[in-house]
Amino acid sequence: MIVYILKRLAIAIPTLLLLIVLSFLLMHAAPGGPFTQERGLPPEVLANLNAKYGLDQPLWRQIVSYVWGIVSAFDFGPSFVYKDRSVNDIIAQGFPVTLTYGFLSFIVAVVVGVTLGTIAAVRHNTVIDYFAVGLSIGAQVLPNFVMAPILVLVFTLALHWLPGGGWRFNDPHFWVMPVIALSTSYMASIARIMRSSMLEVLTSNHIRTARAKGLSGLRIVLRHALKPALLPVISYLGPAFVAMITGSVIVDIYFSTGGIGKAFVDSALNRDYAVMMGITILVGALTILFNLVVDIIYGWIDPKIRY
Amino acid sequence: MKLSVAISALALLAAAPAGIAATVPEGTKLAANQSYTFWLLDAIKSMDPQINTDVEGSDILRNLFEGLYNEGPKGELVPGVATGFDLSDDKTVYTFHLRPEAKWSDGKPVTAQDFVYAWRRLADPKTASEYAWYMELMQVKNAAAITAGEKPVEELGVKAVDDHTLEVTIETPLPYFPQMLVHGSTFPVREDVIAKYGQDWTKPGNLVGNGAYVLSQHLLGERIEMDKAPTYWDAEHTVMTHLTALTINDKNAALTRYLAGELDRVEIPAGQYPRLAKEYPDQAKSTPYSCSYTYLVNLSDKGPEALKDVRVRKALSYAINRDVIVDNVLQGGQKPAYNWTHWATAGFKMPDIDYAHWTQKERTEKAKELLAEAGYGPDHPLKLTLNYNTSDDHKKIAIAVQQFWKPLGVALTLNNMEWKVHTDKMQNQDFDLARYAWCGDYNEASTYLDFFTSYSGHNNGKFLNADYDRIMKESKTATDPQPLYTEAEQILADQMPLLPIYHYAKVDMVKADIKGLPTENVMQTWYGKDLFRVAP
Repeated sequence: MIVYILKRLAIAIPTLLLLIVLSFLLMHAAPGGPFTQERGLPPEVLANLNAKYGLDQPLWRQIVSYVWGIVSAFDFGPSFVYKDRSVNDIIAQGFPVTLTYGFLSFIVAVVVGVTLGTIAAVRHNTVIDYFAVGLSIGAQVLPNFVMAPILVLVFTLALHWLPGGGWRFNDPHFWVMPVIALSTSYMASIARIMRSSMLEVLTSNHIRTARAKGLSGLRIVLRHALKPALLPVISYLGPAFVAMITGSVIVDIYFSTGGIGKAFVDSALNRDYAVMMGITILVGALTILFNLVVDIIYGWIDPKIRY
Repeated sequence: MKLSVAISALALLAAAPAGIAATVPEGTKLAANQSYTFWLLDAIKSMDPQINTDVEGSDILRNLFEGLYNEGPKGELVPGVATGFDLSDDKTVYTFHLRPEAKWSDGKPVTAQDFVYAWRRLADPKTASEYAWYMELMQVKNAAAITAGEKPVEELGVKAVDDHTLEVTIETPLPYFPQMLVHGSTFPVREDVIAKYGQDWTKPGNLVGNGAYVLSQHLLGERIEMDKAPTYWDAEHTVMTHLTALTINDKNAALTRYLAGELDRVEIPAGQYPRLAKEYPDQAKSTPYSCSYTYLVNLSDKGPEALKDVRVRKALSYAINRDVIVDNVLQGGQKPAYNWTHWATAGFKMPDIDYAHWTQKERTEKAKELLAEAGYGPDHPLKLTLNYNTSDDHKKIAIAVQQFWKPLGVALTLNNMEWKVHTDKMQNQDFDLARYAWCGDYNEASTYLDFFTSYSGHNNGKFLNADYDRIMKESKTATDPQPLYTEAEQILADQMPLLPIYHYAKVDMVKADIKGLPTENVMQTWYGKDLFRVAP
């Protein structure tokens, strides 16, 4: 097991390097640069800027010095656009925000999704099932850029219960709408995956045996069906977890949270190479890490899987 | 003999004898809560005066720092750190007298050396400021050579005669030079603070400013909080005690939060002004705003052959029904444009442009005629593309224009692209027609008209006209440049290197109890120190 984990971590390093090089090249291939702006800059000013940020160097040297900065000093460089800030500053301010609302959304999506999916499967083809399926399809088809403004209209403008946006770590009022907006569609997906997988498990041999032994319905579901039924949900949760904690551009835009979801999209549009690389590496590293976590959990849940 | 200039704004001092911050009319009952919350579309890119390039960033800078001059409610100059200046006989040496009571937020006096440091810093190639060209635009001696790295920064034409006397030498007389001093890039900064904190000097706690407010919090892309600075020289007359800027990236979300009472001022999204003006007549406001919206024509070698024919350019311009764009698409009190310079620019006299007076029917008829002469029509269509950057409004206008041109036999392909790609293509003359807008840097027509000179760095359509260049050069030294500006506009109307579309308006919702925002300043420059909230 330990050997397996070490092996996976060793593969992660070349994977990340490949990610860095590819994103670097793709980004530089896009037309325009961080200093392309409405009022074209005089050539001497542009030359000064390129010299200051090292953009006058050949591409390979830029990549090498960038990677060296990360490896030697954990320095992701200065932002080319937010010039008073380093990439580390931007991530340090935005990531805790998205981590908070993303993690809460994850809990909500998993708890509600798994419960809803299980109930629907157990009460297959009853009114409860139809209701649960209807709810999750509704949640799935209502995109969050539609839901976000509706939530604000209802909870802020009409009811005056919640602030219409912004972020405070010490005031849960600010968390409610971002969490609802972000968790809903994940919750719906989890519910659907859970329902179909639970239906499959409920017709399997070991459940029939359990029934034959005369166990109660609730006990069968909780003790014998839940664990195997969770397998497909868990493989979905790895990447979903990373996507949620690194934020959503829609949530960041509508609720002005200052999170890194918006910062990521902005960095691409602004050609803010350093910020974009920083967040790409963050997302990439987290994805690799949580795929590994998922595989470990797999082994724990399913005794048939051995590493 | 030196010519002493008493600036016109001194008249204003009579109304408010002791200071020039908020002018609260006598008998006004002020609200207990003197805080103002305003809206920002995007995160502030920098709070460093010499690094900032954005209009929104400037709104913040004007509250944290103060330059030699400020703008009054009508855009007139009012004294800031400078109390006045002397001008040499050849009009190239300005001697500014600085206010001895002006202080930084840490209590130290604001000195002429602080200005010298800031101005050198702006021109210095090591700073690599994207606004370095502004020093050049101001004609400050040696600015261009210093930015290009050809001369040491010490040779910039700015010098501290003593702690409170600043001497500026410019290359040629520039009638609107004082007007340019309200720009944020000329604000003083503290050398010792920047040396101490480096890139982090603009963070709350580190930042030392000389404005009416101090920075207390800055969460990038979320909020900025500013408190009244007790050290500001006119703090006595500053009424508003707290300013908050909230970043909201979606205009509709911002409007909703305004309606929920979370903001005191937001922009009204296109098309919603008529409804809001009816529902909230005391809050919906439309005032002229110094920006001009246009389609640029590519006249370079890379541009299409057809557009080199002035008849074609005229036909395209005539056929655009600007009233439909202004009244049906934008609906916010914008004005149809038949020229380049914004109509409300100070001192600007509109030339008599013929087609501005015609009916749209007449224009369209003439357009058909001209196109037919040039050899195009429904049987022999003219194929063109229009590049525009992503935005609902740009798209709506582009579709309207496409429809206006269709009956003429112009097949217009719309090319939507992301902003950076659009700009890149424009700057490399890789377009037929390109959407563009220009906002004035200062309140004078040359900020628009310099754009189309052959030596301008922004002339992306490569309009080259010797007469135009000559007129604009002449205007720099003329006692009254205005007739020359009118003449320059006439050339643009005759040659049509751009298809003017509309002049901007600032269309905002402002809470009725907020007073002191400019209503007659086309630059829309505002200062927190001028604001106050009246009791309900």
